[in-house]
Amino acid sequence: MSGHSNWAEWVYIGVVVALLAWVGAEAWNIERLVEHVPEDAKVIKVTGQQWFWTFEHEDGTKESGELHVKKGIPYKFEITSRDVIHSFNIPEYLVLMDAVPGRINTVWFLPVDEGEFPIQCREYCGLIHYNMRGTLYVEDGA
Amino acid sequence: MKNIIGLFMVLSILVIFPTVQIVFAAGDEAGEYLDRRIEIWNLFFRMMTVAFVIGAVVSGTMVWLIWRFRESNPKAIPTKYEGTGELDR
Amino acid sequence: MVLELQKPRPIWQIMFSTHHTDIGLLYMISSLAFLFMGGVLALVIRVEMFSPGAQFIADSMTYNRIFTVHGTNMIFLFILPFASGVGNYFVPIMVRYKDMAYPKLNAIAFWMIPPAAALIWLGFADFGWYAQPPYSAISAPSPAAEMWIFGLKILGVSSILGAINFIVTILKCKHPDLPLSKVPLLAWSFLSSSLIVLVAIPTFAAALLMLLTDRLGVTGFFNPAMGGDPIAYSHLFWFTFHPEVYVLVIPAIGMMYEIIPRFSRKPIFSHSSGMFAFILLSIVSFASWAHHMYATGMSFTEKTVFMVGTLAAVPASAMHVFNFLATMWGGRAKYSTPMMWAVGGIALFFSAGAGGVVNTAMPLDFITHDSYWVVGHFHLFVFGTIAFGSFGYLYYMFPYITGRMYNELWGKVHFVLIFIGAVLVFFTQHILGLYGMPRRIFDYPEIPEWIAMNQIQAVGAVLLGVGMTIFLVNLIYSSAKGKEANMDDPFGLGGKYYYPYQAKNPHHD
Repeated sequence: MSGHSNWAEWVYIGVVVALLAWVGAEAWNIERLVEHVPEDAKVIKVTGQQWFWTFEHEDGTKESGELHVKKGIPYKFEITSRDVIHSFNIPEYLVLMDAVPGRINTVWFLPVDEGEFPIQCREYCGLIHYNMRGTLYVEDGA
Repeated sequence: MKNIIGLFMVLSILVIFPTVQIVFAAGDEAGEYLDRRIEIWNLFFRMMTVAFVIGAVVSGTMVWLIWRFRESNPKAIPTKYEGTGELDR
Repeated sequence: MVLELQKPRPIWQIMFSTHHTDIGLLYMISSLAFLFMGGVLALVIRVEMFSPGAQFIADSMTYNRIFTVHGTNMIFLFILPFASGVGNYFVPIMVRYKDMAYPKLNAIAFWMIPPAAALIWLGFADFGWYAQPPYSAISAPSPAAEMWIFGLKILGVSSILGAINFIVTILKCKHPDLPLSKVPLLAWSFLSSSLIVLVAIPTFAAALLMLLTDRLGVTGFFNPAMGGDPIAYSHLFWFTFHPEVYVLVIPAIGMMYEIIPRFSRKPIFSHSSGMFAFILLSIVSFASWAHHMYATGMSFTEKTVFMVGTLAAVPASAMHVFNFLATMWGGRAKYSTPMMWAVGGIALFFSAGAGGVVNTAMPLDFITHDSYWVVGHFHLFVFGTIAFGSFGYLYYMFPYITGRMYNELWGKVHFVLIFIGAVLVFFTQHILGLYGMPRRIFDYPEIPEWIAMNQIQAVGAVLLGVGMTIFLVNLIYSSAKGKEANMDDPFGLGGKYYYPYQAKNPHHD
């Protein structure tokens, strides 16, 4: 077919495949680490609905639009929706998981820094999707 | 040529296995939890470094190709396909 | 040439024609009209987002409708029909046959587009081009949603009819002296994308029907209260639309395979690599769909499988980049407008692909999912690669179709404005996504970095608008009054301009 040698193309493809294998292996490994939920993580139930977030702590305390957590303690979110698909997102903590009606999705995190962090919705859910916001308050555990 | 491919495959495997094993050994123990922000952003920046290095190579190559093989380059010579009719498939 | 504006043919002759050149022209002209209409919507979006607070769009529902129609229009009413137009016009020529295999079916496939377009534009639905339930089933207003669903149903059928036509024409109607291995790569690109369409589109047709019956309340496929699952729609949708994005890009790569060898005055480095890469991509494209769904609550194993499937498609695209660069090496290239578009397109294709590899790394999805990073990434593909390849090809084919030359200086000005504008808009969007700005939002909080990057984008968008206006004027003016082209070699490349086999339109000399 092509009359000339194309060893250069083979080397190139070898390099590309090696790079992609590296990407895959690294990603697999980090995801494995990140998804490992600590056993003593405290559960917070998160419910999304048009167009606000509500939270329920393990001890039954409920919050709406705001979430108060303590620094240094791992928390596991159990997320669902009452109506359409939303997505629970705390961008500064890289927490992101869809809120799907009919199922409960889980993601955990460790609040390390004190302060106030925005919560937003990351899946189009209609009229006020753009303003389906909240605030995470991380307070000193002591 | 086959030796180079073989060598390449061995080298890539040699790089990947140790990396995987080392990180397999690490993990989070009770009392010390990993900070997902650090892990994820770290991966992101490592991948960005690789992507930009490759990007520099690819775009550098393209810029050189465009410069060297433009028809107005004093070193430009007709290709061996010009005038032969082979270009008109 | 088929479009001679100074001695126009009766319009009804073109409209009722079944000849592939006329239908190709109808596809190309209508798709360009939709490109400009969709572009106006994009400009509206970017100007509205210049700063927080409402600029001139009164409410979020209007904004939501605008981005929905922008996306739907660009994919289904510009990219796909433009590619069909190029294919219809040139595939019979490339395989040395007199027309497409089924000329009347061809005309029917085209004429399904205007009513579908009317449904989409007049409906102006608001659920994003994904139409994800439950929102699209229980919350999106009627009749916009039903009109969108019907419009897309019709377009899906049109796509399938076109795909059948391409496959039969290329495989069964090609000249007996022309082996498949010597069929030009542009024709191969239509063969591969048509094969993908045949396998992928029926799934979406099913999903649309299920969405419609869910909306009517008759079924509960995607309604948990009735035992259904909204994520089922995601699987059906993405099983179609991941391969479909390859249907979008493959013809544009094919178009670059026409431009780059000719303007480098060398044959393509490896025709067989090009063929192999197209076929490999068609097959592997089916292995990656759920990388769009990493955030829906998939298990670790599922995500890994799809990450591997996504990565597996990269070498095929990398082969095309290698092929282009190796073709340019050792050539004597003339950087006329088409060549600038093709080469610029390769550069942006590479950056789009690099961003894609980052996306597919599972943990990085926590940063990038549903943010402006994704918007920047896919626009580098649809605009940076597909539109660049399409514009380049349009300039290249302009003398062939009209017998006249476009204005070369304004063609280059168009390229420079668009390249700078595209970088300003789409590269900035990647960074904006890293800063956490979600997509599909009408307004945003007063975060200084977000504001700054939105403003940079608005500037870029205006540059794009100016460039496209110049393009429109160049196209229209030159079609009617451009300098007559030397039909043997309009670009001064040496050698004959195009395939020795001219299009013989029976209505035209």
